[in-house]
Amino acid sequence: MHIEENPNDIRAADLIVGIPSYNEAKLISYPTQMASEGLIKYFGNKNSVIINCDNNSPDGTRDAFMNTPTEVPKIYLSTPPGVKGKGNNVRNLFKKSCDLGAQAVVVVDADLKSITPRWIKNLAEPLFEDFGFVAPLYIRHKYDGTITNNIAYPMTRSIYGRRVRQPIGGDFGFSGELAEIYLKQGDWTPAVVEFGIDIWMTTTAMCHDIPICQSYMGRPKIHKPKDPGESLGPMFLQVVGTIFDIMTKKVAFWKEVRWSKPTAIFGFGLGEMEMPPPVDVNLERLYDKFQAGFASHDALWKGILSTNVYKKLSEVKTLGFADFEFPTNLWAEILIDFAVAYKNGAHGREGIMESLIPLYYGRTCSFVIELEPMTIQQAEEVIEDQCIVFERSKPYLLRKWFDTE
Amino acid sequence: MKKILIVDDEDVIRMLYGEELEDEGYNVITTGTGHGLIGLVESEKPDLIILDIKMAEHNGLDLLQDIRKQFYNIPVILCSAYSSYKGDLKSIAADYYVVKSADLSELKQKIKMALEGHIPFQSTRE
Repeated sequence: MHIEENPNDIRAADLIVGIPSYNEAKLISYPTQMASEGLIKYFGNKNSVIINCDNNSPDGTRDAFMNTPTEVPKIYLSTPPGVKGKGNNVRNLFKKSCDLGAQAVVVVDADLKSITPRWIKNLAEPLFEDFGFVAPLYIRHKYDGTITNNIAYPMTRSIYGRRVRQPIGGDFGFSGELAEIYLKQGDWTPAVVEFGIDIWMTTTAMCHDIPICQSYMGRPKIHKPKDPGESLGPMFLQVVGTIFDIMTKKVAFWKEVRWSKPTAIFGFGLGEMEMPPPVDVNLERLYDKFQAGFASHDALWKGILSTNVYKKLSEVKTLGFADFEFPTNLWAEILIDFAVAYKNGAHGREGIMESLIPLYYGRTCSFVIELEPMTIQQAEEVIEDQCIVFERSKPYLLRKWFDTE
Repeated sequence: MKKILIVDDEDVIRMLYGEELEDEGYNVITTGTGHGLIGLVESEKPDLIILDIKMAEHNGLDLLQDIRKQFYNIPVILCSAYSSYKGDLKSIAADYYVVKSADLSELKQKIKMALEGHIPFQSTRE
């Protein structure tokens, strides 16, 4: 069930740009315009359409989208009133792309301020070659994307063996064939229909042997940045919960993976690298929230974590703010212990996920402190080294996972 | 026996790396130029390539893109005297990046990791 407005009566399309949204009336016009320009400039010979897949936003997102002047026709899709979630919007897009017989679909965020027509080219063009899934590659501020840098990237890389730097980037390209595969999946969990959708799409592509490439966008992703200690909210639970869910389902695949492989890169030669705007992080608040976690979750942590990991965590607790450090190998082992506990379900999945948040704050605090004197390039090297630590933890994951099955 | 191709315009490096890696049990072939590299890879079918970046006539990062277009699954280790190229996004297409050193233990470790790397059902095009 969905709401649809198709004023141009579009019944077929080769290429679709989808813009999922909820209450983005102020910002959606800009990516819509850029999408139209990109489709005309680079894919003028294709039948294209721009689709806003919305959650029936009360702020006038629909009007802002439909009233944006574009050369490319537009369709407005919405979930019924009361049904929310980015994943529900993207699922409507999958269905519509199958109905329209699209060869290629590009998804861009509705709050993007830095998108250019070139983004559409770079996300779509590989799909008309041999690739089935295109992930974005852009320069981000070293403090932006802390869930990506500390969880999503190192975990997907170490578990599934593919290096996709922005697995929850929000901007993607996928083939019509992959849209059909997505629709056939039976694991549309409550987290996937919300913010878990991005990691679900990336991981599903990895596990279905879909040719993946990363496409360089040329400009940093500028959208509504968030202080990781201020506005984590349900997104953390949905993304990490989806990672843990997929681990449980795809164990036959990932248990065979050793180390990791690079993916193809597309879209070089775009000139000077533009630097992203700064992101403010309140370090003291992250530290305090980490310490406060011991008061409310200590008993649960003791039950979830292996003895040695809990002992190391207790040592980290004793560190003051001035010399605070949360080592990467400890963080990797904590995530593994949590994934195993989540699979076993003995402590209640909701409680397990809630109790991971203060530990994530602690790790993020340490990560930001470590990166403080570094350039963005140096920070990237730290993240790469961190991924190797995660990959080296794979034997620990296998031992823990299969000991308890 | 795994075959390793070393691409480096310095004779000393080719000799040093060649001897050390042969001692480790690898079959080593070398070239001092990027000219005809794709043809050499095609005929020799190495299991792994060690690629210098700053060479007199070629840039290893550009050669890497050429390799990836045709031989996506061959592990490539970038091996440079400079660490600054790590910041170049083109280097992401390599399996690993190692800064040259008289101590080859890191290089040997990365060779082992690259050769052991395994993903089930991997696409040939990727």
